[in-house]
Amino acid sequence: MTFATPILAGIAAAVAVPALIILYFLKLRRRDLEVSTTLLWKKAIQDLQANAPFQKLRNNILLFLQLLVLAAALLALAQPEYRDTGLTNARHIIVIDNSASMNATDGRVLPPGAPPESTPTTRLDAAKQRALQLVDALKEPGVFDNRGEEAMVIVFNTTAQVLQTFTSSKSDLRNAINGIQPTDAPGYLERAWALADAYTGKKVFQEDVGFVPVGPGATVHLLSDGRLPDAGKVQRGETDAVFFHRVGTPDAANVGITGIRAERAFDNPARLSIFVGLQSTARQPRSVDVELIIDGATTNVRDVVVGAAKPKDAAALEGEDPGEDSGDRWVPGLGGFVFPIDRAEGGIATVRISTREPDALPSDNIGYLVIPPAKRLAVALVSEGNLLVQSAFRGMKLSALDVIKPAQFQQMLDDGRTSQYDVFVLDRFLPQVRVGSVGAGEASAARVPGLPPGRSVVLGAVPPPPLGVVDEGPAEGAVFADFRRDHPALALSALDKVTISKFRRVSVRPDTPVRVLASTDKGPGVLEVSDASVLSIVIPWDPADSDWWLDPGWVLFMAGAVLYLSDSGAGTGGDMVRPGDTLRTRVPIGSRDVRLTTPDNARHNLEPAGDGSVAFGPVLRNGIYTVSWDGPGTAADFVVDGRARRPVAANLADPNESDIGAASRLDLANDRVSARGDEDAALRRKVWPYLLLAALAVIMLEWWVYNRKVAI
Amino acid sequence: MLRSPNIKRPERLDDLLEPALMARLGQLDVSSRKIFAGKLRGERRSKKRGQSVEFADHRPYVVGDDLRHIDWNIYGRLDRLFLKLFLEEEDLSLHVVVDCSTSMDAGEPNKFLFCQRLAASLAYIGLVNLNRVALSAIGERIDTPSVEGGAGAEPTSVSSGLVSTLRDLRGRRRLDDISRYLIGLQPIGGTRFTDACKKIALTRRGKGVMIVLSDFMVKEGYETGLRLLVGHGYDLFAIQVLSPQEMEPEKGGIGGDLRLRDMEDGDTAEVTITAPLLKRYKQTLNAYCNRLHEFCVQRDIVHMTVKSDTPIDTLVLDYLRRRGLLK
Repeated sequence: MTFATPILAGIAAAVAVPALIILYFLKLRRRDLEVSTTLLWKKAIQDLQANAPFQKLRNNILLFLQLLVLAAALLALAQPEYRDTGLTNARHIIVIDNSASMNATDGRVLPPGAPPESTPTTRLDAAKQRALQLVDALKEPGVFDNRGEEAMVIVFNTTAQVLQTFTSSKSDLRNAINGIQPTDAPGYLERAWALADAYTGKKVFQEDVGFVPVGPGATVHLLSDGRLPDAGKVQRGETDAVFFHRVGTPDAANVGITGIRAERAFDNPARLSIFVGLQSTARQPRSVDVELIIDGATTNVRDVVVGAAKPKDAAALEGEDPGEDSGDRWVPGLGGFVFPIDRAEGGIATVRISTREPDALPSDNIGYLVIPPAKRLAVALVSEGNLLVQSAFRGMKLSALDVIKPAQFQQMLDDGRTSQYDVFVLDRFLPQVRVGSVGAGEASAARVPGLPPGRSVVLGAVPPPPLGVVDEGPAEGAVFADFRRDHPALALSALDKVTISKFRRVSVRPDTPVRVLASTDKGPGVLEVSDASVLSIVIPWDPADSDWWLDPGWVLFMAGAVLYLSDSGAGTGGDMVRPGDTLRTRVPIGSRDVRLTTPDNARHNLEPAGDGSVAFGPVLRNGIYTVSWDGPGTAADFVVDGRARRPVAANLADPNESDIGAASRLDLANDRVSARGDEDAALRRKVWPYLLLAALAVIMLEWWVYNRKVAI
Repeated sequence: MLRSPNIKRPERLDDLLEPALMARLGQLDVSSRKIFAGKLRGERRSKKRGQSVEFADHRPYVVGDDLRHIDWNIYGRLDRLFLKLFLEEEDLSLHVVVDCSTSMDAGEPNKFLFCQRLAASLAYIGLVNLNRVALSAIGERIDTPSVEGGAGAEPTSVSSGLVSTLRDLRGRRRLDDISRYLIGLQPIGGTRFTDACKKIALTRRGKGVMIVLSDFMVKEGYETGLRLLVGHGYDLFAIQVLSPQEMEPEKGGIGGDLRLRDMEDGDTAEVTITAPLLKRYKQTLNAYCNRLHEFCVQRDIVHMTVKSDTPIDTLVLDYLRRRGLLK
């Protein structure tokens, strides 16, 4: 507790206390009264004093109470303040980061010589503890003031979630905070801030000003280590107060896996290369043992030295990217290497690193990888015969390239025998598909030309409504004006050189599952249709009516489109998801009893969509998630006990999260918030009103004591 | 407790004894637990044989006996000399002692006035029953009232100093003397109770009933004085007179921070009147009275405490009769 005006109070005390004592001990003016005898009175007084050993004290109780009142008033004059975790606004938003870096074990710094059994506290535990302290410090409704302080709890990683809306119930808030679980997802503040912003009060629109907050703001308590790459995107509200309660230490040493990837050689799919990227925030170089485990068996162990972290300025001098400006940040040292192995079959690879020195964040010391078997695609060309297309696939090492007639394809489609091919290429043909209202019987469904379920490349045909593509008839001559070079199918297509002699003009309705991949001067030239059951790349015009097929880009486009649609990465990368994202994959149509098994062996039933896609998430922990189903699998899937299984690896692999040094400040878009450590977490609350209230209470007590004393 | 404000002192006999009360008191007589010998033949039966009309017994004549008491009828029949013995009726000595200290001049009703009236009533009862009545006033300084002496068989005598005594009054006609004496008493000064009792004990005559009217609030202690008075043929009654304000001070309007001044010796006591103090005062008073009572019981003294607001007729006709002082 500190005092704002101690000297003033001291002077007042020096005057008032002796004055009170002198006044108290002045002789009391008594009324004279003649009585027949004082014999009995004196005896009664003697008896009373004899029977009350603390009589003197009792006599002085009024002086004691008066001194108490004076002490309270003098203390109030000194304006004492005490540190408190509560704040000025009546509404508090407690935002807790449970991203991967919050699993670092430097939440509580163990003193030197601490017993080995003492378990270090994670940053998340420390943040929860701090949040509980905040909740405890909330003012409760009083007798005269029923407006207690309210708080809400938001937890965020990649996504944000409101765990408890505004309430003054401390038990609800405590339950919400205690229920927060750690995750391995990266931390992004923007969504949490948007959620908090939605609760911070009303905003009204004023002309020439914009949205202006109305009413009292809220106090946002951000409990995090500050490893928030998007902090600069969020804005503090004008009436809001932001407090950054930092957990963790700025110099926490951590070596982690920041990248993991497997690739098969294009010319020899059996040759597999596993790339591992490492990062260290230690101030000295770290020697790390990297262990590669495939299907539970250690395959290779390597000793790798990861460079030391460098101060930001030093890194800038050496020409390295110092990263975003984050105060006293150090730039982590980097390392990495490749495991080359020969393995044609699939499997689950685990890369584990271990260091001899303490490592603050264990969760990034292990990476998972699903290695699909080396396989080749099966493509069916549905055509009456098209040399251009056939020759385009000639260079690809496909497992099958079958040319089937449209009637055969229609029959296969009707019989549900399309799963043997990964991709269909429909040459100027669209099969009859059933369309109808939901719930209508098969008999009532009309059959119209349309895109078949599954993956397909459509050449020279326009899918009719209701997909969202409107045929506007033929057009003469067109050239490409723009196309998406980042799309896997178009990356090497060289569309800018293509001239189309007979173009098919189409238009795309908004809010439909149709995306324009390339546009010509006459309108959309290449489309991607993606809805629940269909994933298709559509070229409405006939490539034969252009000079595209004369260009190698045509072959590369066909290869890229097939690889993209096959969704397998051509047997190189495998399925991978990042914690915080939703796990999505597609199981063969007709699969039954689709289940997902999480790394902790919890099972979840999944319901596949019409195209067989399933989703789960967001996944929150690293590890292998396995989707299994009854029915045939694709070439990349494993079959165990009659059930197809598709493992999906979830890896943090985030350089920002592995760089776990706690930030000393948070740079918001419009504010810079300094971190508040343990010792600085409390705020100052003024105590003098309470002291005056106490003085008043003591005066009332003194009055009662006096009346009780003189009452007969 | 408090000094009585504007007290109306008695000026005539009627102020001490109302006629109606006198009529009722005339039917009473002073009772003693013993039959006492007296100097006059009164209306009281004595163990001593003497001159009376009531025959008691015979005894053989011896030389020297009064020849007038020889039963000549027996001599005629038996030829032997026998004396006739008669029960002698003797008078009773009634001695009323009134405390005239300043402490008695307190309370509402005034304790001293109460004692004056009570003393007058008792003396009247003694006079009408032909008892030998004596009145004594004790105090540190007694102004001697002027009383004519010489009436009756023996002259009355009045002394001054610690004790003033009016004695040997007999017969209804001495009532005026009694009243004048009582009216003339003034409650002034202290008590010196022991010395006064000693003086009374040494100077009293005969045997009878002695009634001490006082509050017995004696700082030097009442024990020695009462011990001197008891015995020597006197049946002692100690009537302790207290005012209602002494027994329940809160009803007297006492309260606050006070400096209590003793009316007799000017001694002071500083008190703050509180409920615990009042409770303790009452306990002390009760203990004091109980101790006095026990002291009296142990010495065959009849003790009773009366409040000064007790009606005289109730006290005399009821309480004192029940306690055996009157019959």
